[in-house]
Amino acid sequence: MIGIDTRIKRGSGELAILALLDREPLHGYEISKRIAHVTGGVLQFNLASLYPLLYRMEKRGWVKGQWEEAKSGRERRYYHLTRAGKKQLTPLREEWSLFFQALHRIAGVAHAG
Amino acid sequence: MPDNRELIQERLGKLGLGTRRDEEIVRELGEHLEDHAAALEALGVAQDAAAREALDSVSNWAEFREDLLAAETEETIMNYRTKVFWLPALCALILSNGLLALIQIFGPLPRFYWLSQDMSMRPYFTFIIPWLISQPVVGAVAAYWSRRAGGGLLHQLLAALAPAIALLGLFLVILPFSVIMEKHVSHDIQLTGFLVLTVTWVLLPSLPLLVGAAPFLRKTQPQC
Repeated sequence: MIGIDTRIKRGSGELAILALLDREPLHGYEISKRIAHVTGGVLQFNLASLYPLLYRMEKRGWVKGQWEEAKSGRERRYYHLTRAGKKQLTPLREEWSLFFQALHRIAGVAHAG
Repeated sequence: MPDNRELIQERLGKLGLGTRRDEEIVRELGEHLEDHAAALEALGVAQDAAAREALDSVSNWAEFREDLLAAETEETIMNYRTKVFWLPALCALILSNGLLALIQIFGPLPRFYWLSQDMSMRPYFTFIIPWLISQPVVGAVAAYWSRRAGGGLLHQLLAALAPAIALLGLFLVILPFSVIMEKHVSHDIQLTGFLVLTVTWVLLPSLPLLVGAAPFLRKTQPQC
């Protein structure tokens, strides 16, 4: 499988995380698992790539992490989408959609949206 | 299963983000690795091997540490620069220009010195002596503010010189426009004019600004 460049991963990761958290709050491991599952393994985040991204998004006020009891009974840090994060989601979606349209026009990259 | 928090702590070292935040990060990463190891165990990997494999998912811990610190301090760095440079520099700029406006309205007339007898087209030096005399106060305020906010020597110096630097920037923007737009004025006059403006409004005020700042300039350890 062709690996995705770290910079593309970082940029797309923000949108992926915001979109997932828009559905429900998740903890870090669940976020990485969901991303890998939904993208069929094309986008994969491990410890080293996920947490700097999450902490940066938290610093920007897009997500908020808080310790909550998981189904397993263990406390996990769940990330919630904030109002600022919700606002960020629409322009990010549009930005990536435009990006894929542009790539499609210039290089024949198929646009899924 | 070995305590993965200890192993993470060993690899990351002290992050220096405050005890509480450091502990929280290590705890969160520990939980993640524990889930990862449990998922591997569910696939039939032995407990110890699963724990090791989860830990080895990070190939470069030093780089990971740097990424974590960069993410955690992104906002702090911006605040730090605002605190130690932008705010004192803006204050110096407003103070310097406010004083210039007041002196021009209420003070004595400026002194003009032409470079040649043909006064119509030639550039001239303008000396507003009371304004130049007031500049050490501006330099002192900006340097002191920057130092108190924790700025390094360079921040203090740049904040004190901000009024002169801003004007230099303005002249550098104006010069190319002037060369293109004012075709009836020869280029040598425009360049001389630029030099005269730079001496009058940048170099000359820089001296009293520096004089005022000098007693307050200290080499400090920047906080970030």
